[in-house]
Amino acid sequence: MTVSARDLAVVSRFSSRLFWRDRVALSTSVSLFLGLGIGLPLLMDRVGAGNAEFLLNQHLGVLAMVLVIATFTQIAVTLTTRRDQLILKRMRATGLGDRDILGGEIVSLAAQSTLLTVVVSVALYALTDLPVPRDPLLYLVSVVAGAVVLCLLGTAFTALVPRTELAAVMAMPFFFLAGIGANGFGPLLELLPGWVGTLLGLLPTAAVVDVAKIAYAADGTFAGDLRAAAVPALNLAVWAVIGVVATARWFRWEARRS
Amino acid sequence: MTAIQVDGLKKSYGDFAAVRGISFEVPRGEIFALLGRNGAGKTTTVEVLAGFQAPDEGTVRVLGLDPVRDRVRVRRSVGIMLQEAGFLPDLTVAQTVDAWRDFVAAPRPREEALELTALSAKAATRVRQLSGGEKRRLDLALAVLSRPDVLFLDEPTTGMDPEARRNTWEVIRDLAGQGTTILLTTHYLEEAQQLAASMAIMDQGRIVSGGDMAETLATRAGRVAFELPASVTPRDLPVPDATLEGDTVVCRVADPDLAAQTLLSWAAERGLRLRGLEVRTATLEDLFLDLAAGDKGEMTHDIGKEVA
Repeated sequence: MTVSARDLAVVSRFSSRLFWRDRVALSTSVSLFLGLGIGLPLLMDRVGAGNAEFLLNQHLGVLAMVLVIATFTQIAVTLTTRRDQLILKRMRATGLGDRDILGGEIVSLAAQSTLLTVVVSVALYALTDLPVPRDPLLYLVSVVAGAVVLCLLGTAFTALVPRTELAAVMAMPFFFLAGIGANGFGPLLELLPGWVGTLLGLLPTAAVVDVAKIAYAADGTFAGDLRAAAVPALNLAVWAVIGVVATARWFRWEARRS
Repeated sequence: MTAIQVDGLKKSYGDFAAVRGISFEVPRGEIFALLGRNGAGKTTTVEVLAGFQAPDEGTVRVLGLDPVRDRVRVRRSVGIMLQEAGFLPDLTVAQTVDAWRDFVAAPRPREEALELTALSAKAATRVRQLSGGEKRRLDLALAVLSRPDVLFLDEPTTGMDPEARRNTWEVIRDLAGQGTTILLTTHYLEEAQQLAASMAIMDQGRIVSGGDMAETLATRAGRVAFELPASVTPRDLPVPDATLEGDTVVCRVADPDLAAQTLLSWAAERGLRLRGLEVRTATLEDLFLDLAAGDKGEMTHDIGKEVA
């Protein structure tokens, strides 16, 4: 079965329209994304808590956290809701393919998260001493790739969620793990055993931060950037495969029959 | 030409055998009714035909295609009105139809779909404010958006008031008249008898009776009933197999008109009146009740409720 670009776009547009009508999604995904994404680094900048490197680390650490909320958590909530309300079943009753339905949801949330990241980044460039990345394209690619992979993993994660109202709560630990691993809560890793940092370094959000740091680095060449980004890219590719395989194997289109 | 073909279909959920080896065919352009009480296996059969479930055994073909393997191709030619499928409660009827129009190729215009299902006046109403019957009509509007060649209707009129039910029957008849093959499940026997050219009655996952509707009913006994006059016993009557149900005599006969004439002549000769005389040919309900009587299970009770 192949993916239809037309159907993918149709589902993505449908999903986006529903997202912007959903007050809960707006207050969690969007408000939290913008509030934390801009607010924390701005606060640190205003109180003069550190240098430019500290600000960049703070920005990317918080970005890793809010990306989890806007992608992994949001898609888990959206898909379990549509699964339990039997909306997915009704969508499958049309000529839409399964990949188009899930792909459309992923494209929608990945695009919105990217857009939110752009807003956050531009706001910080304007309001703080955060420098513009040397390689903005690489930064953008890291965010898009990270958002897609996190959405894929969130899609697969729904198989573990028994009902809608548990989706956000069950996804919460991943928000904290991503935050700790990327120093979004401050340099907590320095207080923890080394193996914790190593383990959390394997998270997809860590790969996003690693690639973004390469894009922000003051010096570098295109070829050098690609070489440096190879390992994080491999990390994201492995997670993407895990997400796809787990979704194909365990994704449930309907609530469990009682 | 056959539009729907089911051969030896079996489907279980864990230890529960929902469908235990059924076979039937539906020619193109025909309305076929799948009847049975709740839990008989009707919905499972529809879900397999629609490609939502894979058969455990047997084969199913819709327009010559395997609904599981060729699901997307089948769905593009099929409209499905599911018994259980959700709506987005905050969208209006018009927004829902518009959204679903995007999901199908060459859809009907929104107004046409709403007019067809008598929902034009509800276009601006949010789905959460619709009654159960109106939701079923919206369900039907979505199912026919793609002008499908085959339509699966799972309990299409459940929750509708009598007028809406009859309007829906008209829609179904019109669609069949335009060449759409329709498989409908229902436990409203009148609905099946009004609409379907052929049928199958399912019980506990098996087809217990089926075939051409008119032929099947022609083989069943008609019914003549009246209040038994005083001083007369059923054995005095000039018709065989008269049974007493309370104060009413019920005669099951192949030709109820002839039996009624015989009884009226017999009564006139004796100066008797046959109060509450009721004469009717066999109905699907009779067939159902006969099958239920043979079943000795709970079926009689359930059917009584469903046909009421």
